[in-house]
Amino acid sequence: MSCTVRIASPLHSYTAGAARIEGRGNTLAEVLGDLERRFPGIRFRMIDEQDRIRPHMRLFVNSEEARDLAAPVRGGDTVHVICALSGG
Amino acid sequence: MTLSAAERARYQRHLSLKEIGAAGQEKLRAARVLIVGAGGLGSPAALYLAAAGCGTLGLVDFDRVDISNLQRQVLFDTAALGQLKAEAGRERLAALNPEIRVVAHALELKATGVLALLAGYDLVVDGSDRLSTRYLVNDACVILGRPLVSAAIHRFEGQLTTYVPGRGPCYRCLFPQAADGMVANCAEAGVLGVLPGVLGTLQATEAIKLITGVGTPLVGRLLTYDALELRFHEFRVERRRDCAVCGEAPTITAPRDPPAPAAAAADGVRRLSARALSALLETGAHAPPLIDVREPWEFATGHLPDAVNIPLGELPERLAEVPRTGGAVFICRSGGRSMRACTLALAAGVAAPANLEGGMLAWAADVDPTQPVA
Repeated sequence: MSCTVRIASPLHSYTAGAARIEGRGNTLAEVLGDLERRFPGIRFRMIDEQDRIRPHMRLFVNSEEARDLAAPVRGGDTVHVICALSGG
Repeated sequence: MTLSAAERARYQRHLSLKEIGAAGQEKLRAARVLIVGAGGLGSPAALYLAAAGCGTLGLVDFDRVDISNLQRQVLFDTAALGQLKAEAGRERLAALNPEIRVVAHALELKATGVLALLAGYDLVVDGSDRLSTRYLVNDACVILGRPLVSAAIHRFEGQLTTYVPGRGPCYRCLFPQAADGMVANCAEAGVLGVLPGVLGTLQATEAIKLITGVGTPLVGRLLTYDALELRFHEFRVERRRDCAVCGEAPTITAPRDPPAPAAAAADGVRRLSARALSALLETGAHAPPLIDVREPWEFATGHLPDAVNIPLGELPERLAEVPRTGGAVFICRSGGRSMRACTLALAAGVAAPANLEGGMLAWAADVDPTQPVA
């Protein structure tokens, strides 16, 4: 399934500056795996060694928060990658 | 107390709004709002809250006005360069609206004193530029039961949420843990000048709504703003039952300072002054590997010869590029990010990593005054 992934600004260095990219997968885990293949290193910025979402990152499928990687992703969904920002 | 003739004239357009009217304006006059950080966000928030007749405004900022602030910090003008932001801001706000009281708090918020300071205010607007301050303010607001309107910015993006204790999540529910240095701030990453203008005025809007009881506040919702695509998104955020400060069994019951960089460093991290590093580099053959963990554009502005650029955010997956022996020296602008890099490197098996204390700023001050530092 094809979805849109919106990437938090601090991770744009992995996506050649792109804020919005296309992703593929039926679950969050599959979508992030797809991203990792194309943008090596990006998954580790969001997910730790125990496959947990890092505590300064939040992942949403459409407007609902995904608490783990098993969250389903359907065609046309938008996965939002949100990062704690410090700037003021 | 009813509004004076001068106040009626000044706030006429508010009085015309039936949702605000004289009763709402009196609530605004009675309100005490603390603005943490007189920067990009705090500037527009303070100006609009002062203009709106918020009766007591506190400004917390220990910094002084720098020329690079003026691209977005509209509370200050060129004549204020070098002045304390809290003081310069107080003068500007008093000139804008002499009907209100503005209190300058030219201090750095610390665990000691934060409760006493916040207790004198009804509502807090957070526009600080450090995650550690954001957690400190959040925890103090939860403990005191004060509403908190919080925003943050990065390059072309912004975030906004209103936290009302007992009515929704707190900042730690949204981001349980984050450390300064892992996420670049405005000085490191850059920021579109008008971006905090949008977010700061939204903060003022939320504050006015909470004070007057009008509308629906942004509680339990995270609003994000993408200036490049001109898009807002909204996300539902729930309170965490296991939240460390507002959860069912809180482990944080009093404000606490983050560990100081030196204290946070694990045993085995060496601390190197700029002069000591200069002496080491002069040994030539025994010179240590230099790892500069600043953002690429900072590195491009000026760096030490032979330094390798691995931005701190990329370090976890690029640790293999750091030589395991030779006592790698980690470098950043002022020594904070490089200390975190040392800790990461040490955990990954790099022997005796060293931190350039004071970073490139210390190098420019103590070794090479011609060294450009971004």
